[in-house]
Amino acid sequence: MRPVAIVGAGMIPFGRRDDDNLMDMLAYASLNALDDAGLGDKGVQAVYVANMGAGMLNHQMSVASALVDRLSLLPAAAESIENGPASGASAIKNGLLAVASGYYDLVLVVGGEKMRDVSGWRATDFVASMTHPTAEYIYGITLPGMAGMFTRLYMQKYGVTREHLVQVAIKNQEMGALNPYAHVESRITHEGIVDSWHSRVNNPPVADPLHLYDVCPVSDGAAAVILAPLDRVKEFKKTPIVIAGFGQATDTHTLQERDDPTDLKAVTLAAQQAFEMAKMKPSDIHVAELHDAFTILEIAESEHVGFFKKGEGAKAVEQGKTKLGGQIPINVSGGLKARGHPVGATGVAQVVDIVWQLRHELPKERQVQNAVNGLTVNFGGFGNNVLSFILRRGDK
Amino acid sequence: MKKIDIVAYKCKKCGKLHFPQHDRCLACKGREFEKIAPQGNAKLITFSQIFNLPWGFDNRFIFVGVAEFENGVKAMGQIAANAPADLKLGMTLKPTWDVVRVISGENVYGLKFEPIR
Repeated sequence: MRPVAIVGAGMIPFGRRDDDNLMDMLAYASLNALDDAGLGDKGVQAVYVANMGAGMLNHQMSVASALVDRLSLLPAAAESIENGPASGASAIKNGLLAVASGYYDLVLVVGGEKMRDVSGWRATDFVASMTHPTAEYIYGITLPGMAGMFTRLYMQKYGVTREHLVQVAIKNQEMGALNPYAHVESRITHEGIVDSWHSRVNNPPVADPLHLYDVCPVSDGAAAVILAPLDRVKEFKKTPIVIAGFGQATDTHTLQERDDPTDLKAVTLAAQQAFEMAKMKPSDIHVAELHDAFTILEIAESEHVGFFKKGEGAKAVEQGKTKLGGQIPINVSGGLKARGHPVGATGVAQVVDIVWQLRHELPKERQVQNAVNGLTVNFGGFGNNVLSFILRRGDK
Repeated sequence: MKKIDIVAYKCKKCGKLHFPQHDRCLACKGREFEKIAPQGNAKLITFSQIFNLPWGFDNRFIFVGVAEFENGVKAMGQIAANAPADLKLGMTLKPTWDVVRVISGENVYGLKFEPIR
């Protein structure tokens, strides 16, 4: 396999984008990435589109074929990748392998989701369709419900408290408020969501013990990257970001069949594979984007990838180790919690945010100083299909 | 009371219990299974009170949890409760079989657990 670099990255602001349909969003993010790469007339040979639910949400299929036509990238190869909320990272992995194999030189990977076309009631049902149809879905379980069950066990086993979750929510919304691409750009206070008479209205329980501000919003959005072999990066204007390692692992479909439901084995394995390939260890990472669809997941994933020992992730939050300027800044973008979670877009957006960090091109208030190595975790289902990437600044 | 209509699968080679069905054993990859029914009451492993429900539910909230039967079968089900304080991890639940959801106008039956106080 030859080394592969990201030579272009683009995103559009996440949120409720009533004026754009799915194809608009995919096209705009793609154009941003193509322009960022300064690709000009150089031909993209293949396009991988990450999308989880256009068939259910937008009544549209074969979005990759439609996108290459819309972008006049014909006759580029094109395919759609569906892997639940890990679709984005899966599409990057497929693009990466296509370039690493030597088959293609220039690949566009774009992820997008248009979720606000349907009511919250329908969107919740759409996401729940990932669960086991006869052993889980029929009971009305939702992904927040799965996270609620997981949180209850994690609290019991490791002493995580609601206060720890609140600290993650406040931190990530603080950072989201600085991110022009974030869906939720408002800061929250401890008083506003926990210990005041109005917090009961502001922050009601969603899936006990999780409350509204423990859960990511339902968003529209898209993000894109351009991949090229490392030996061609001089043709592009931006600092190349090398994909130094990646990993992917799966776990049981149902939570009940895991020997220890608090053990996110697929996260551990995916990260281990990525570290091994990159020849790095957790302490080599300067910035991370973890899949915090629920606040508990940021804490649990920070332990499972090896930043902290099991049971010490919550304490690290308490001590400010995961804040900008801390030992390992996590979700400086605001994470899914504030940037939003258009499911097919998320895995690509995480990588785009790390690319911007490693190029050192973000404003000072959200730039991790001298960051060289970054890590992502894109968490599919409830941890039954997980991908992790390690990116490295290419001039180091 | 209606019969609990779920089937678990015990690997004939290593004895590992599976629910739902697998075509190969999660532990030893064996392909032959003995069908077994869940037996007795169940012990509550975890639960959540869910307020933001999916399309098709008219309830203000439901309780959903995972419990382990006396013969080791683990399964998800709805739980009859009004507040999280009604439930405690490790408590005993009585399983029943009832309508848990209506999909396309059809009643869907599943596990409904009742806390035994």
